Amino acid sequence: MFSRRGLIRGTGAALALGLLPGKGEAAPLARVKALGVLRVVVYRDNRPWSWEEDGKLVGLDVDLANAIAAKLGVRTDIAQLTADESVDDDLRNGVWKGGLLGFTPGDLMLHIPFDRGFAARNDQVAIVAPYYRESFGFAGTGGVDLDAVPTQWRGRRLAVELDSIPDFYLVGSFGGLLAKDVAHYPTGSDAVQAVSDGKADAVLASRAQIEEGLHRAGSPPIALRKAPLPAFTSPGWDIGMAVRENSRTLGDAVEEIVTDMAADGGMKALFAPYGVTWKPALAMG
Amino acid sequence: MKGRVIRALSGAAAMALAVAAAPLLAEGPTDADLMNDAASTGDVLTYGMGPQAHRFSALNQINAGNVAKLVPAFAASLGGEKQRGQEAQPIVYDGTIYVTGSYSRLFAFDARTGEEKWQYDARLPDGIMPCCDVVNRGAAIYGDKIIFATLDARLVALNRLTGKVIWNKQIADYQAGYSATAAPMIVKGKVIYGNSGGEFGIVGAVEARDVETGELLWRRPTIEGHMGTLNGKDNGITGKTNATWQGDLWKTGGGATWLGGTYDPDTNLLFFGTGNPAPWNSHLRPGDNLYTSSTLAIDPDTGVIKWHFQTTPHDGWDFDGVNEFIPFDATINGKPMKLGAKADRNGYFFVLDRTNGKFLGAHKFVMQTTWADGFNPKTGRPNYNDANRPGAPGAAGAKGSSVFASPSFLGGKNWMPMAYSNDTGLFYIPSNDWGMDIWNEGIAYKKGAAYLGAGFTIKPIAEDHIGALRAMDPKTGKIVWEYKNKAPLWGGVLTTGGNLVFTGTPEGYLKAFDAKTGQELWKFQTGSGVVGSPVTWEQDGEQYVAVMSGWGGAVPLWGGEVAKSFKDINQGGALWVFKLPK
Repeated sequence: MFSRRGLIRGTGAALALGLLPGKGEAAPLARVKALGVLRVVVYRDNRPWSWEEDGKLVGLDVDLANAIAAKLGVRTDIAQLTADESVDDDLRNGVWKGGLLGFTPGDLMLHIPFDRGFAARNDQVAIVAPYYRESFGFAGTGGVDLDAVPTQWRGRRLAVELDSIPDFYLVGSFGGLLAKDVAHYPTGSDAVQAVSDGKADAVLASRAQIEEGLHRAGSPPIALRKAPLPAFTSPGWDIGMAVRENSRTLGDAVEEIVTDMAADGGMKALFAPYGVTWKPALAMG
Repeated sequence: MKGRVIRALSGAAAMALAVAAAPLLAEGPTDADLMNDAASTGDVLTYGMGPQAHRFSALNQINAGNVAKLVPAFAASLGGEKQRGQEAQPIVYDGTIYVTGSYSRLFAFDARTGEEKWQYDARLPDGIMPCCDVVNRGAAIYGDKIIFATLDARLVALNRLTGKVIWNKQIADYQAGYSATAAPMIVKGKVIYGNSGGEFGIVGAVEARDVETGELLWRRPTIEGHMGTLNGKDNGITGKTNATWQGDLWKTGGGATWLGGTYDPDTNLLFFGTGNPAPWNSHLRPGDNLYTSSTLAIDPDTGVIKWHFQTTPHDGWDFDGVNEFIPFDATINGKPMKLGAKADRNGYFFVLDRTNGKFLGAHKFVMQTTWADGFNPKTGRPNYNDANRPGAPGAAGAKGSSVFASPSFLGGKNWMPMAYSNDTGLFYIPSNDWGMDIWNEGIAYKKGAAYLGAGFTIKPIAEDHIGALRAMDPKTGKIVWEYKNKAPLWGGVLTTGGNLVFTGTPEGYLKAFDAKTGQELWKFQTGSGVVGSPVTWEQDGEQYVAVMSGWGGAVPLWGGEVAKSFKDINQGGALWVFKLPK
């Protein structure tokens, strides 16, 4: 998992020693520092990571972008990217090429899956600095036996994000027994909100969406299932960041910052105000 | 008829007539003019060259005997760096050619010289995610207005003489995934249009607005369970809630009407095709999923659905059913009938009774349909090959088993409109022979998170071609002739009283064929791929042919083996106009 990281380090060292051409595109870290601005791309409408509230862009990824820029001694220019059909498309629009409609690529894009196979086919970018381990969780109100066999949830109102892994799981498993009980929402965060608002009895969503949603609702009587869901196939995934393939000096610097924040409690502290327990990426070892 | 009379006159007489007609032209086209567009050869007022969209002109000055001499009169560049797919059909009126361009631009060119009169560039937000290139398929003209839709889901009415905005209405929320690329139509003073958008949670609809003010008059969602409106009041739900959908999936059921519609003055019906259902995987939405992948007949006065016919019930291949439904009359078994035809993405050519939607026949017009073996003549439903339905989502981390399905999801025929010749009684279908490997992805990533996705690879299925222009006899279901093209065909078709069929190719040619035999009679290299729809009209006693050139659209976005057939084609953006030398 860390071969790429080692490579980045090596490249960075070579650059520092003046072994590679050091101007323009080849020295992105120096350019960012010279300009005094780090352009960071985050997803639009991606609570709790990045979303607009009262006209202001907030969220875990927004705070992380600002923390990284502060450590680099520059200010941020944070741009919201509308998600396309796949993250591969988002990397093209947000990092290495720009959007068809003129979206300017960022120096850094947050919330990119840190996955070997995925990274291999996206060779226009370097995926660096894994900063969180995401997974799905199941939460519900007191009336739902959370740790029961899922088929016992028949007749309860189950909230999920449309077309997500939780959607496929609840609608498609158990011979479709629960299909009619599943209510669909545009995002996992909206599905959590439905439970807080009493419109649904339980939700299957990402752990960050659930924890932030419950935190927002102010400790409602909603709990998380403890046992894993039977035959639930997503073990979770690591989240990292992307820079252009030729921006490895920047990627290296950002990875150092994130590694330090993981070690000194900075990451944990950054997540705490959102009620989300920071979990280190598996790739962080 | 108008055109024939003018052509018979001498030059001076024609000039006098043009002057006499000038005050009328200042008023602009009326409802009656639009309805008469198929017969009026001196102009092109509607998308489809008539509300029934036959794309047929009786003009025969250019004909099978002399088309070989056809030469360019002029070309006009759309300029700028915004040279992507040019899928528009020109509108011609009062000495002006109106074309829409990529990135939601509208141009007015002098129809005699090609000089630009004015240009309108929509200011587009950078957050739009158009699924299939930044195309636009054309404008609508009415009175003093020229009207088109923009990628950020707006409808814009401009003064046709100045290009200044008269009204500009948001018709849907682009941030929710909606867009607009089709040409609007105008019927009885109403602008009528569909919607388009990504797969994610959108619901198809047809809407009508007052052409003078842009105010909404009626709205008809295409998915059962959704309420329609008329003049701001509820006007009954579409279908019956949960009749063919489980749970709440109808709320986000898809069925976008992204290609616009046709209108039949005879029966006073609008015909709109609807897109595929959502979510993509059919195993998660048991049932027919009405009214996705269907043709809807809608009352233009009220927005009420009069009948429907579903071409792919429970669509699992992303065939979608938006293709244009073209009204035509023919005598079947000795009985004169009001019919309509549609060449569907799923590879079948449907003939229906357009008064009631009754199924009369479905004829294969592509090489291969792996998903079904014909249609049941009694029920009008496909004889499915169940083994060819892409599978249910499998275990995460594992690639599901792959199915080879044909046609590919880009369809036996995609957006590009066919033509119907009143002379030969044949339909000319721009089709493609291709298939796809399709499988479930164990892990796909969307918006930074893990999802289950599907993978596709589009593949040619023949050695010598992907594209095929085919002449279909709607009475027998037989292919009368075919022209094979190496690259996929992606442009519209025109047919004329000169026994001609015109269509463009990605290789950059506009070509003319003998309408009866399919023999290629003429071709001209336009410098970039042709994916627009040609038109013809008569002006100052001469017949003209015009087409847009500019490679793009959905095909270049889906590489694979198919990309080999067009890898050397360059971008462009120009209007080409042709005539016979004097």
